[in-house]
Amino acid sequence: MSTDTAERTRESRRSGMLIAAVRWMENLSETWYAYLLLTPIFIILGVVALYPLLRTFELSLYAVSTDLTSLNFVGLENYIELFTGGKDRYLPGSNTFLPTTLSMPAIVSSALAVTIVFAVVSVFFETLIGLGQALVLDQDFYGRRWIRAAIIIPWAVPVVIQGIIFYLMFNSNIGFATPPLADLGLLASTNTLNDPLSALFIILVADIWKTSAFMALLILAGLQSIDRSLYNVAKVAGASKWQQFKHITFPLILPTVAVAVLFRMVGAMKVYGIIDTVSSCAVLPSLSCMVVSTFNTRVGTSASIAFVTAAIIGIIVMIVIVWQGEDAI
Amino acid sequence: MATPTEQLDDSEGGPLERWTKRAIKDPQRVYRALFYVAMAFFVVTTLFPFYWLLVLAVTPRQNLLSGSFLPEIDLFGAGMTFPLPVPRKGFAPGSFITIFEQIPFHLFVLNSFVLAITTTIIVLFVASLSGYVFGRLDFPGRALLMLGILAVSYFPPAAFLIPLFEAFAGNEPIVIPFTQIPLFTAPRLLNTPGSMVIPFSGLFLPLAVFILTTFYAQIPDGLEDAARVEGTTRLGALFRVIMPLSAPGVATAAVLTFISVYNEYFFSSLMALSPSAENWSPLVGGILSYQTQYTTQFNLMAAASVVGVLPVVILVVVAQERIVSGLTSGALKE
Repeated sequence: MSTDTAERTRESRRSGMLIAAVRWMENLSETWYAYLLLTPIFIILGVVALYPLLRTFELSLYAVSTDLTSLNFVGLENYIELFTGGKDRYLPGSNTFLPTTLSMPAIVSSALAVTIVFAVVSVFFETLIGLGQALVLDQDFYGRRWIRAAIIIPWAVPVVIQGIIFYLMFNSNIGFATPPLADLGLLASTNTLNDPLSALFIILVADIWKTSAFMALLILAGLQSIDRSLYNVAKVAGASKWQQFKHITFPLILPTVAVAVLFRMVGAMKVYGIIDTVSSCAVLPSLSCMVVSTFNTRVGTSASIAFVTAAIIGIIVMIVIVWQGEDAI
Repeated sequence: MATPTEQLDDSEGGPLERWTKRAIKDPQRVYRALFYVAMAFFVVTTLFPFYWLLVLAVTPRQNLLSGSFLPEIDLFGAGMTFPLPVPRKGFAPGSFITIFEQIPFHLFVLNSFVLAITTTIIVLFVASLSGYVFGRLDFPGRALLMLGILAVSYFPPAAFLIPLFEAFAGNEPIVIPFTQIPLFTAPRLLNTPGSMVIPFSGLFLPLAVFILTTFYAQIPDGLEDAARVEGTTRLGALFRVIMPLSAPGVATAAVLTFISVYNEYFFSSLMALSPSAENWSPLVGGILSYQTQYTTQFNLMAAASVVGVLPVVILVVVAQERIVSGLTSGALKE
């Protein structure tokens, strides 16, 4: 009996606390209630994003001491050395941070240049192909649903499997794609995946294959928001399909596409997994690759590369947000 | 082919000539033809790699290595041979069983599922609270906070790696940046699901927040007010009225989060220190094991990839509408 009563009082005390908490929440002003509900997301983003970003910057101001046991404060020296080539000796292979000359071999062995070239070239082709796919999907035809599913599937393929697919297609032992492309002079015929230029070509193809569908969906949304009556007017005025595209479709989807392109480029600059699977970071460096290959041994170097990457991306995002204003949300 | 009525217009010439003549009279036919050519091109280029994987997976290993599995055909009669992958010599579907025998591949896939489902639940709960706030409440700092969340989603995971790895190693206490004040020592999370679920939750929250904000904002105020008059608490109104009414939006956020985690490479490959299923290494670890340990067993690599890709292919076919609406309604957010 006595345990029963004790349990009941404990239970009522607990429900009393619950009632008090509910009453407290019910009486909060809208502003404070909003901040209360946002607490979980602030905690998660604080732990996963804000703290790591600040800590990365802090670590980038230190260098591993010569006996490799402690960290010495060096100020901005890591950044200065990064941009003057002093850190290149810590990068895997014969890679550099900045390209030493403007020749092709120098560009494909520079982490910064590879990342930017990859982002610009892949997003350019993704936009072109995505536009083509969107124009096809915008038509009404039997089986549209299945065609759309087929086109979206590559977007949902895990990066590691995307990597294996292209590894197997271009592997010099069994890949069927290497001989014809090597005949055309696009790829190295032997040891293809360890040749930086060939590796860059292959990861570009792989990324375009995977991500075009994403651009296609964004462009398709833009296409479907166009007022159809504009096309009827154009038809009455005798405009050809090409003229309709040039004077109606293209100008109306351009703003959507421009923002999508910039944001996609920022996304493409994170490239890591596909390089790691198809080739290796020692062959073809990207900024994320260099962070991963140095973070166990040279924390300061790694942190400074990580922070430079974050800064470049942060600046581009800021520019888009300021340019778009409230529309960016 | 040609029926008598058609013959009246196009009395002579081969099929190509006849088609061209009719096309000149009716340009719509050209657009129609171009459309089918483009559609075929896109479907073939997107699906061909999967066909290639299947061919490799069912071809015996010896045939793969000797290269004899590729028949050579003459291309345009120009004396140039083009190797076309066609399953001709040997059929060995046993590789789909071998992949589970050499390493516990099913456990890697299971790990991926556990990580993806856990992350999805956390993300849905937290993003529901935030989506409700951003979609239905008005308060100072709303636009700025949304921009901040948007910005976070664009930062590269590499910028978060070093401190998270350091914290999850659990060797030294976490200090407030730029001071020496220690806060607490995190438990050792490397090789546990926590070391992946925590970063995943942060990385994929923003997209879910934007999707749910859009959907929750569309629920009429009257419905929420009615629930409140009936005596529901504020939180009760969110989870019992607004969330169920936005079921399509919640499903969209769930599907996209699940796919994102299942596809993630960066933290998945780094937070499990060795690619073994006991260390919570997900799909990435399982597939890379075949690439690094069994370097010439290309048929096993292909078979493992086919098995690994099946869940997302099924998800895309089943939840296509949700994916399309999520990527376009969250429009340019991710």
